[in-house]
Amino acid sequence: MTDFLETTLDKFTFKVATDRLYSAEGVWVKVENGHARIGLSDFVQQRSGDVAFAEIKPEGTTLAAGDDLANIETIKVNITYTCPVGGKIVQVNPAMSDAPEAINREPYDAGWLAVMEVADWEVQRARLLDPQAYFEIMKGQAEEETRKS
Amino acid sequence: MEENQKVLIVPCSGIGKPYGTVSREAAYDVTDELRPGQTQLVPLALLVLGDEESRAAVAGYPAITIDGCKLACAAKMVQQSGGTVIQEIAVLDVYRRHKDLKPLGIAILNEGGQKLARVLAEEVTSLVDVIIDARKAGENA
Repeated sequence: MTDFLETTLDKFTFKVATDRLYSAEGVWVKVENGHARIGLSDFVQQRSGDVAFAEIKPEGTTLAAGDDLANIETIKVNITYTCPVGGKIVQVNPAMSDAPEAINREPYDAGWLAVMEVADWEVQRARLLDPQAYFEIMKGQAEEETRKS
Repeated sequence: MEENQKVLIVPCSGIGKPYGTVSREAAYDVTDELRPGQTQLVPLALLVLGDEESRAAVAGYPAITIDGCKLACAAKMVQQSGGTVIQEIAVLDVYRRHKDLKPLGIAILNEGGQKLARVLAEEVTSLVDVIIDARKAGENA
């Protein structure tokens, strides 16, 4: 059972799962059985809006941290998210091609983007944020969005 | 056309988003041009206000709702007004099937948005025909 950090601003509640690490951009990484599962945070999916299409780099692609991983088209924007870790994509979520709204429905579960084979995990994890650190950054981003709207 | 074969069209009332505009353009196409005798447009705002004529319409006829986002205000409001939603349509689902028709613009849709509205209108028209044919068949049975 995943635990969450939560904050509510205006009518929106944003959750940060505590069982994984994050980039400041809001891309999460969860290590399972030696592989890294990657997805978007709840704040990112709420800010971006309903997902129309999700194009993920294909299986077999080798990426460095910071390379483009996914292009997400929503009813509001087109956004490219970068890969928070380097490695090889070994699986793309099949739901991304036919039901990308899973990103909105279950960002920390069924809405994952890809699974990667990651080398030097201990080195790479040092560049990621723990849930509390991302939570603080996310709160700042959410407050900024609220001020703008 | 007998009144008991009417189908209501209830589009999104959201402003500031192209998908809401697509829903309304499609609704106008259906009710003004494609099936004017068989359909009736019900403005969502009137249902929200509790307008008696609009509430009576949704109480009496099945409704096709066209929503611009996942909040699905049109579908929820018809249900809360005591009506029957015979089909919920989300503009985003139609766009997913027609990726080349990306809607842009709000007051005035781009060409893609206008074409998407037309495609949506034709899908709604097909549904209206199916619903009316089914009702006729039921009456003749």
